[in-house]
Amino acid sequence: MAGPGIVPALGEEAIFHAGDRIRVLDREPIGHYRVPTYLRGKRGVVEQVIEPAFVDNEEEGFGRNAGSKLHYYRVAIPLTEIWPDYTGGPRDGLYIEVFETWLEKA
Amino acid sequence: MESQEHDHDDHTHPHEEVGRQDKPGYYDMLETAVRELLVEKKLIGADEIRRQIEVLDSRTPALGAKVVARAWTDPEFKARLLADGRAACEEMGITFYDDTLLAVRENTETVHNLVVCTLCSCYPRPVLGLPPDWYKAKPYRARAVIEPRKVLAEFGTIIPDDVEVRVHDSTAMVRFLILPRRPDGTDDYTEEQLAALVTRDTMIGVVPARAPQGSAAQ
Amino acid sequence: MSQTEHLVKRLPNDIGGLPADPVVQTDHPLEPWEKRCHALADVLDFHKIINTEEKRCGVEALGAEMVGKLTYYERWIVAFSNILFRKGILTPTELAKKMEEVAARWDEHAGA
Repeated sequence: MAGPGIVPALGEEAIFHAGDRIRVLDREPIGHYRVPTYLRGKRGVVEQVIEPAFVDNEEEGFGRNAGSKLHYYRVAIPLTEIWPDYTGGPRDGLYIEVFETWLEKA
Repeated sequence: MESQEHDHDDHTHPHEEVGRQDKPGYYDMLETAVRELLVEKKLIGADEIRRQIEVLDSRTPALGAKVVARAWTDPEFKARLLADGRAACEEMGITFYDDTLLAVRENTETVHNLVVCTLCSCYPRPVLGLPPDWYKAKPYRARAVIEPRKVLAEFGTIIPDDVEVRVHDSTAMVRFLILPRRPDGTDDYTEEQLAALVTRDTMIGVVPARAPQGSAAQ
Repeated sequence: MSQTEHLVKRLPNDIGGLPADPVVQTDHPLEPWEKRCHALADVLDFHKIINTEEKRCGVEALGAEMVGKLTYYERWIVAFSNILFRKGILTPTELAKKMEEVAARWDEHAGA
């Protein structure tokens, strides 16, 4: 977190924090993506902010090796949220790292 | 000791193919052609491929097993391992030759973790070596995220109803190592003896570690 | 709604949650060329000639039929070829000629 009098650059600080409720966006890109279809639109909680900021892996797939850095967030999503007919344990969960551009506050 | 290496400034000989009985397959020859062209254009060195093969050969589940055995016997190491898996492995001389991070997830009485890469085959290669074919194939990748308990049962692993199952889908730069539970009846084992109980599949999270008498942690 | 959108929207490797068979615990020791191919991938990534994500994208771009029918490392080496063409590092003609040379070299050796 930036200290007093310090202005962080745009994109430098994480915008979500552990404990935040989030929703994975419904976006349907063609070409290349790293957020599986089964998670689109699902809601969960940020478990951890991954540090440091990393290159957007979807842009990396097209040869970008630097820049475009934002944070990835490890999110926890109940399996009952993903699969309406889930018959395993009620607290069973899916954990995945998602790039900042794929999340919004729920 | 005489060096086995010799210089190939103009062209590479596929030494490993001398004496082969069968003609190399199509993709084998494609690989050779791509590699030789890249070396000729000085984009990569012939030595680099040889060296990387040695790197790959040096990474096996035995490395991960040593990490687990140490975590089982050294609580402070375990704490560091859970906080930063890559740094703790590097402490033990396990270098990471790529930009991946390592998250270690501990199995307990109340939580069982397993790892999958639904989109491809992400796997903690620096510390476990190369993944088995089944990990990269459709059945495991498709089903681990929708019916993990059924998939675990296919490995002979039954998770009680009151234990939470956590499925980690590696899709970005973090790789996962599962820290299996220490089997019962191993209190007087040395670290080496403990490491021998830790197989690759216990660190993927599809089976528990077992003592020779067969007992996992209860 | 078109009949074919789903083919465009869903990558052939995006299989999480799809119906599938029981797990068969197969494994095989790598063929020498497969190990060389894996080493090549790592070296290309170190140099950022083809980074790991570009490789994944290249495999996806092979399309469902090749993704379904080629084996793991077969997909990699074909993807590398396509990416190297696109980047202007190799041309298809160069590669075809080199493959002929590799095959001829073997034939010569075998015939000797």
